[in-house]
Formats: sequence, structure tokens, C-alpha cells
Amino acid sequence: MARHLRFIARTVMVQDGNVDTAYKNLNRMLTQDGIIDAVKRRRYFEKPCRERRRKNFENCRRIYHMEMARKIAFVSRTNREDPWLGC
Amino acid sequence: MVAYINLRLLSATGKLLRLPSIHEPEEVWPSQWSRGFCMVLVESVPSTLCRQLITPLNVNGTASQCGIRRLPQLRPLFLSAVSHQEAEASTGKDFSHLPPMPGQDSPLRWAGKKFEELPIIHIKATYNNTHIQLTDSAGQSLVRTSCGTEGFKNSKKSTPIAAQTAGISAAAKATVKGVTFVRVVVKGLGPGRLSAIKGLTMGGLQLVSITDNTPVPHNGCRP
Repeated sequence: MARHLRFIARTVMVQDGNVDTAYKNLNRMLTQDGIIDAVKRRRYFEKPCRERRRKNFENCRRIYHMEMARKIAFVSRTNREDPWLGC
Repeated sequence: MVAYINLRLLSATGKLLRLPSIHEPEEVWPSQWSRGFCMVLVESVPSTLCRQLITPLNVNGTASQCGIRRLPQLRPLFLSAVSHQEAEASTGKDFSHLPPMPGQDSPLRWAGKKFEELPIIHIKATYNNTHIQLTDSAGQSLVRTSCGTEGFKNSKKSTPIAAQTAGISAAAKATVKGVTFVRVVVKGLGPGRLSAIKGLTMGGLQLVSITDNTPVPHNGCRP
């Protein structure tokens, strides 16, 4: 990252000497950004064919999980106004 | 009161990319915050911790908090084009997880030095070894240790314990040169990544910030 300004991105300050928390925070940030994943994947070359298949699979998986979570949230509503009011 | 900065990116493809919100796990933060937090909806911005498009927004009591990974509902996203401001220190200690930017003059000092003048410890954690180098803020090298210089050979170098000993010895040499507060830059995902930092703390150095500088090519050389 020689072309970027240093100490701006991917940086966590250490509060009260709590290095473990800071490192955990940093790790969480990186995983959520997908950087750790990308670095692990780039250790060995991934052929373009496999890469396309994996991306497709991850897209489908994401869509499926989002929809399933929506469905579960919908079905598990208990406290709501009476939908059959007036009937 | 700590101000939290939550960022969420919605990329142009509609994929929900999330920038992590940084919060201390011990605090119960929904009930304690009374100041604004930042939420931003930025389109077509790469999902790094880009701070240029962060907006402050005083939305006290808005329920949407993207800190915890909840069900992926779309939260109310606010869009504005104000530059990032750090949290104002009101009463008590106000700690920002993000480092002070070079342009800003923040009151934080460590041993009388500003953040930009602190010496840097570079930790290169490869899969086979861990190198630790202490440089000053300009880049002049002061101390250099690695698992190999500590006497480990071959496969023993790629262990966390070797990294820890390298960290301890680097910290010892640094204190001889009169260094107390350092910033840490970590590069690579190796076995010695965390234990080198631990070794530095065990050796007596005080860490101010941890940066990750792992090289991520945007599809450059073939690995």
C-alpha cells in the first residue's frame, strides 16, 4: 500500500493498554471487510473457472440466507395488532 | 461517553457490504449513548475503511445500530456529504478508535510526541518466519530482530513462541534506545502475528495503535 496514506485505513487505537481488545477489533474489521478471506485465498492461485463458480455459489448462498432470515423474522412475529380485527 | 462510528456501504451491485462498527464489547451501548453517531450510505465506494466520505449525523436515539450482526434488514440509511469529524471530548475521557489524522491537531500526545512522530514497529508475519523491525517515524531503522536471530531454526521459526521471543528481544533493545510508545504495523497472516504483539507488550513497550498493512493486490501478480 505504498500509494496510500499510511495509518489511516485498517488502524485501531489501543485503549488503556488493552492490546487484546484492539487486536480483536482489528481482526473483526478485517474479516467483515473481507480482507482476511482474500489474503487466505490468494495464497495459492485460484483458476478463473473455479473463481467464477465460487462467486456464483456465494451469491446464491447469500440470497438464500437473506430470504430465509426474512422469512424467519416474519414467521416469528408474535406481538402484533390483530390482523382479523372486525371480522 | 464514547461516540461510535458505524458505516455501511451499499455497493452499486446492490450487495450489502458492511463496514464494521467498532465498539467495546463490555459496554452496553444502545442504552448509554446520548450523542450522535455516524451512519453513511455511500454508493460505489470501495469497501475499505475510507474515511473521506464518512458523515457525522446527530441522530440521537435512532434505533438503527449496525454494530451487532442482526437479521439483514435494511436500516434507514442517511446520505450526506460532510467530511469526517472526530468525537468531541465532553465530560470524561473520550476515546476514538480511529487514529488522529495528519491534518487534524488532536490533543493526544505520547511522551510528548504527536501520533505522526511516534516510532513504528513493522511486524512481517510470513508463514515460515516473523520479522520485527523498529524504525523511527521517518523510516530509519533502529532495531531489527527475527525468529532466526533469536536462535530458532527451520520449522521452529514458524511458531508463535518464536515470534514472542523475537518480540521480547525487540522490546528490550528498543527500551535500551529509549523508546517507550510505538505504533505497530502488521503485515501478513502468519502464525506469529498476534504473539509478536504480545511479546512486545511483555517486553515492556507501550502500544499506541495497531495497523494492518497486509498487501492485497487488486489482481496483480499470480501467487
